[in-house]
Amino acid sequence: MNNVILKVSNLKTYFFTSRGTVKAVDGVDFELRHGECLCLVGESGCGKTVTALSILRLFDSPPGEIVDGQISYDGLNLTNCSSEQLRQIRGKDISMVFQEAQSALNPVLTIGDQIIEQIKLHLPLNYSKAEDRAMTLLEEMGIPSAERVMSYYPHQLSGGMKQRVLIAMGLSCDPQILIADEPTTAVDVTIKAQILDIFRDLKTSRQMSTIFITHDLAVVAEIGDRAVVLYGGKDVETAPVSEIINNPKHPYTSGLIECLPDISKSTGKLASIPGTTPNPLKMPQGCAFHPRCPKAMEICSHQEPLETVISKEHRVNCHLYK
Amino acid sequence: MIKRLQDIIKRASQHLHLNTRLINYYWQRTRRNKLAVAGLAFIVFLVALAIIGPFFTLDPTEANFEEKNMPPAGFVTEQSVYNIETDEVTTKEVHGTWKHPLGTDSKGRDMLAMIVSGARVSLQVGLIATGIAIILGTIIGVLSAYLGGWVDNALMRFTDIMMTFPFFLLLVLIIFIFGSNLAFIVLAIGLTGWTGTARLTRSESLSLRTREFVVAAKALGASDKRVIFRHLIPNVISLIIVIATLSIPGVILAEAALSFIGLGDPMVSSWGIILEAGQHSLNTAWWVAVEPGIMLFLTVLAFNFLGDGLRDAFDPKSNI
Amino acid sequence: MSFIQMNHKSNHKLLQIINLKKYYPVTAGLFSRHIGDIKAVDGVNLDVNEKEIIGLVGESGCGKSTLGKTIPRLEEPTSGEILYEGTDVGKLDKKGLAELRREIQIIFQDPDASLDPRMAVGDSICEPLIIHNIGDDKKRIERVAELMEQVGMEAEQANLYPHEFSGGQKQRIGIARALAINPKLIIADEPVSALDVSIQAQILNLMMDIQEKFGLAYLLIAHDLSVIKHMAHRVAIMYLGKIVELANKQELFDNPLHPYTEALLSAVPSFKSKYKDRILLHGDVPSPLNPPSGCHFHPRCHRVLPICSREEPGLAEISEGHFVSCHLYR
Repeated sequence: MNNVILKVSNLKTYFFTSRGTVKAVDGVDFELRHGECLCLVGESGCGKTVTALSILRLFDSPPGEIVDGQISYDGLNLTNCSSEQLRQIRGKDISMVFQEAQSALNPVLTIGDQIIEQIKLHLPLNYSKAEDRAMTLLEEMGIPSAERVMSYYPHQLSGGMKQRVLIAMGLSCDPQILIADEPTTAVDVTIKAQILDIFRDLKTSRQMSTIFITHDLAVVAEIGDRAVVLYGGKDVETAPVSEIINNPKHPYTSGLIECLPDISKSTGKLASIPGTTPNPLKMPQGCAFHPRCPKAMEICSHQEPLETVISKEHRVNCHLYK
Repeated sequence: MIKRLQDIIKRASQHLHLNTRLINYYWQRTRRNKLAVAGLAFIVFLVALAIIGPFFTLDPTEANFEEKNMPPAGFVTEQSVYNIETDEVTTKEVHGTWKHPLGTDSKGRDMLAMIVSGARVSLQVGLIATGIAIILGTIIGVLSAYLGGWVDNALMRFTDIMMTFPFFLLLVLIIFIFGSNLAFIVLAIGLTGWTGTARLTRSESLSLRTREFVVAAKALGASDKRVIFRHLIPNVISLIIVIATLSIPGVILAEAALSFIGLGDPMVSSWGIILEAGQHSLNTAWWVAVEPGIMLFLTVLAFNFLGDGLRDAFDPKSNI
Repeated sequence: MSFIQMNHKSNHKLLQIINLKKYYPVTAGLFSRHIGDIKAVDGVNLDVNEKEIIGLVGESGCGKSTLGKTIPRLEEPTSGEILYEGTDVGKLDKKGLAELRREIQIIFQDPDASLDPRMAVGDSICEPLIIHNIGDDKKRIERVAELMEQVGMEAEQANLYPHEFSGGQKQRIGIARALAINPKLIIADEPVSALDVSIQAQILNLMMDIQEKFGLAYLLIAHDLSVIKHMAHRVAIMYLGKIVELANKQELFDNPLHPYTEALLSAVPSFKSKYKDRILLHGDVPSPLNPPSGCHFHPRCHRVLPICSREEPGLAEISEGHFVSCHLYR
């Protein structure tokens, strides 16, 4: 595919703690194509956030370390390039928007200061030009009276506004790739709708390539083009979103879809997946999902499944399809 | 009455039993800090020294002018001797012997024995005075936070006033008025040193008060008393342990300082008293001042290392 | 008829909330001058019948959590009445309150924070039994074991501490604790929002089982309409301290009347949502310190009328059991 702009191959990021080795990401493969919105889907502990952090190497190292794999971007391998090269890329070519808007903004600096700082770090603009650019961005995000907001401190803004400011900061240097870590999780339903709208616009107006991390399949259905489902640090299914929703192959994916309390479905007892998400210090043997899998077979408990290609765009890691 | 006592003991041991897993969890976390373990080891050694040491050493109060100012074993010093008959001052060499491994002071008392008995005094002062300060500070802090309103205001203003008095000068004043008896010293330190604890426990309790499990307990119908004793205080205990561990060295040094300026209890040979006596003979018998000084230094370090280690172990956010 | 509706609520009124207001005074200046109030709950009328599940929906700042805390008087009401089984909760003395706490229990949102980290979970579950002097030691241990099994956990886990459990398990423990003394009404404040999707389903199923088995009434507070749709009999929508719509669940979802309800329903992302038809609300929720004049929702309303900024509409019954507070229907 020659419009692939980021390719992650067999990424393994481990955290070496005194209580044992946490295999947060244990063999993840996916590629991001130009102009698409790729969703990394999974519940807590599946490794989606660490995968995103690994792209820009933003985790604490020690105890974390990329032990294997490659992340190809623009001719570089991000897993072993120099920190200087990485710093150039961060914020400028690949930008990240974090989940907790509360803690991602510096409480003692004004919004204007924070955005301008980011702009001036990467672009050769003087202060007033940077300021103009910042205001334009805020307006693009649908923030009313952008000029006043520039002089506000984070605590004066609501949750939705903070999230929009974070997205504006992420976009400030026109990155090629935007990584958004659960931007709609901590906000109210109506604000969620506004933010999803923003992401949709970004795709159409800027052809922004986005990696969108979420645990909410309904959000994936709304804005994703393709999705990668993660469980236990590995990718278990990769497919276009319509395929994932209508034709899920992996039992975890279909389980997730069924347990969504969907507003358009009839009421009744909710389907659920028994058991709990695995403890990263004590991953089950074989396929990480087998203790909870309704279709588990004997082989699942001692052998990890390999990748099966269902169709050109649809891959699954499951013994059911060998 | 007997039944109540039995009840209390059963409850306490139940508590302890149920909590051993928690204690083990925190102990594992503390163990990983080497300095803290070293500190703990020294403190254990000190406690052992204080408890059983005196049975193995010479009598620290036995003065023996023949053997005055002997250096520690292995050292050789010169002393000037005044011969009263010939009216001459000559120097003679004095060798340290193993009978007095740490030497003797100007009155011929065995240094090792004095250091050991000093350990006992310092630990007693440290533990008892800190105990008083901590208990007083905790009660004031937790009550203040929980009851809020005018009680909180009143107690905190009182704390502020207490804090404006320079701690040490207050101590000097009290001792000066009431006399330098070890018991008074301990009491004085305890009654003046609670303010820091009060502040810290109050702020911790304030933040705990709004935590959901406290609201949950109230929702279950718990009385104020139950919330304070069953929920607030156990969650503040880890903070208290850290404060206590870090306060003990300050208390020990306070007593030493009081002794150094002459307000210590002369009936007791604490390290401070020995130091005070030794400062006059630094030229000729340096060990009299240096030995208690080293012990004080090591003790303070040990408690500080342990306190730091405990604080990190109790902090859920520090990833040990 | 759906699974839930087969478990019919009775018509016996358990809880009656009459014009309840909870204001938090705001002071400023050296002498703490009273400059205004945060009107967290601003005149709420709501009934909960025996064995009924009422869903209370609204976004952050609408006052639903405050309402949930004020009912058992964990927060003191500023004015209005809360009648439980006919008795005014606001006038109860300490003893009366303790008895009330046997009947009304709360399940909290954050399973991490709602359990005392220094108590074994068995002790946490046992606590209500101790507070209300129920049973002796032996009976209590049995009851704790029984409760743990009812919520799908093993009795042997009673000696473990909260940090040794996952979020979903902690929430089950919270539920066990709430059930310990057989309450009649459980106020569940966002019981599943902090949990993963696959665990949410487990906990919701558990709550439905328990409701059916013990004939409990729930006041289910949530911001997620899809959760409400599965569990509630009736739904109330709250905005800035007031209830703007109240109806039977099916009626509300099929026929939402209030513009805010419409916007909420269309905002929920779903597999079949046509986002082009989505009603996007402008701006953010205004501050409860300084709510807009007239109808609090008028600045963001997509069907606003001139009268809306002048006069507050009251809650009126439009069709049977369906109440709306909106000028469009007067």
